Amino acid sequence: MIRGPAQFMPREKGAAPLDVMIGIMAFLAALALGASLLADRASLDWRAGLSDRLTVQILVPSHGDAASELVRETGAALGVLRATPGIAHAQPLSEAEMRGLVEPWLGKGSLVAELPLPNLIDAEVIPGAPVDLAALAARLKDVAPDSQLDDHSRWLARLKGLADTITWTAYAILILIAVATAASVTFATRAGLAAHHEMVSLLHQMGARAGFIARAFEQHFALSTFAASALGATLAALLFLTAGGLEVFGVEAVPFLPPIALKFGEVAWFTAVPVAAALIAWLTARISVLAVVRKIY
Amino acid sequence: MVRFENVGMRYGAGPEVLRDVTFALDAGSFTFLTGLSGAGKTTLLKLIYVAEPPSRGLITLFGNDMATTRRRDFPAIRRRIGVVFQDFRLLEHLSAFDNVALPLRLAGRNEGNYEHDVEELLSWVGLGDRMHAKPATLSGGEQQRIAIARAVVARPDLLIADEPTGNVDAEIGGRLIRLFAELNRLGTTVLIATHDRALIESTKAREMRLVGGRLVELRTAGRP
Repeated sequence: MIRGPAQFMPREKGAAPLDVMIGIMAFLAALALGASLLADRASLDWRAGLSDRLTVQILVPSHGDAASELVRETGAALGVLRATPGIAHAQPLSEAEMRGLVEPWLGKGSLVAELPLPNLIDAEVIPGAPVDLAALAARLKDVAPDSQLDDHSRWLARLKGLADTITWTAYAILILIAVATAASVTFATRAGLAAHHEMVSLLHQMGARAGFIARAFEQHFALSTFAASALGATLAALLFLTAGGLEVFGVEAVPFLPPIALKFGEVAWFTAVPVAAALIAWLTARISVLAVVRKIY
Repeated sequence: MVRFENVGMRYGAGPEVLRDVTFALDAGSFTFLTGLSGAGKTTLLKLIYVAEPPSRGLITLFGNDMATTRRRDFPAIRRRIGVVFQDFRLLEHLSAFDNVALPLRLAGRNEGNYEHDVEELLSWVGLGDRMHAKPATLSGGEQQRIAIARAVVARPDLLIADEPTGNVDAEIGGRLIRLFAELNRLGTTVLIATHDRALIESTKAREMRLVGGRLVELRTAGRP
């Protein structure tokens, strides 16, 4: 027994090609959404990790006794940093920590042991405290001519640029996929109208309003699009969760880059993909059907 | 109820299929429309059930001048007309029950209050045991009876039937005509297009004949 307008539509047997295509597009949309979420989070993490930190690098002096001069300049720079208002604390990196930093690029060989490495001092700024970096760099130069103050602003700006590029690229992909979904549903609705022309014409002849006929199509396409895109988005969510699970076991996807694992709260955003796809399908089906039905006398 | 004044109809740039057709169907009347194949019977019926606009002339339905009536009011007018199409036009994916219930669904009635009416009507046309069958599994005669049941189930003000007894035997044909006559007694205006002389002669109803696109009044008597 028929209960709603959607049930006037004949049931298709098996997955229609449109459903398969919408499922794939939803999968790609969810991947793009996941990429934008990852880029946003990575950018925030990087900035949070570096924005209140300063690094002072003391290069190996080329004059006098390099080793003792390096130790003297490091001590002098530490003194300046610790005396500067707004600096919470300053700590030189140990030799082991220094070796650990270059190890991923140069390995553990004797070459590394013999390399003249600069000294690094890690300083933390009290959040919100105004520190005149130019004046601090000048004072450091006075006591340690081989020092270089790095507030990471260049690096942060480039990271932010990269994260913003990834985010906006993901948004662009989402928009392209939304347009492709709308175009596909419009095409499928018109094909459906042609295939079910007799049904549309009969309902119209029997006094069905254009809105009633449109509801039959829009409900049919919204429901099938929701089901297909929910499947695609679920597959993408599983992919991200699996990647997260592998990283727990130490499998690193891309060295030096943030993990591609999404948190459960972030994966929840994926539910927006089938909802948005169903809305697009509903709207395009309605517009297409009303345009066609209103042309019939 | 229905009034045509100097109505003409042509498809595209073709010749006129109907010429200066003028007639009226009074409320509660019973009329046969006859004529040879190609005389324009189906076209005339289409103009009455608001499937096509006329090329010229004035059509008035239920007091509405169709030339000035807003398109948004057409569905309400169409719902007052029950049509038995010559080719039945059943929805193949719906059961006999759902096909017959269509006009009631479109009128906004819910299944709880029409289920009994639909079952009773299907039993009346001899299809009480086939109500869940799909049209493709039914014979031509059975499909025709479903089409008739669908046209009358909502007790329309005007019933139009195009060759409604063309695919049924004499006994079923007689039964269907009694159904139309019963509806007519209850106030429905009936217009039947047919070639069946025996059917026409069995009643005293009015007969209009289309000859070369023009309407000729043959018999002006009232009800069957």
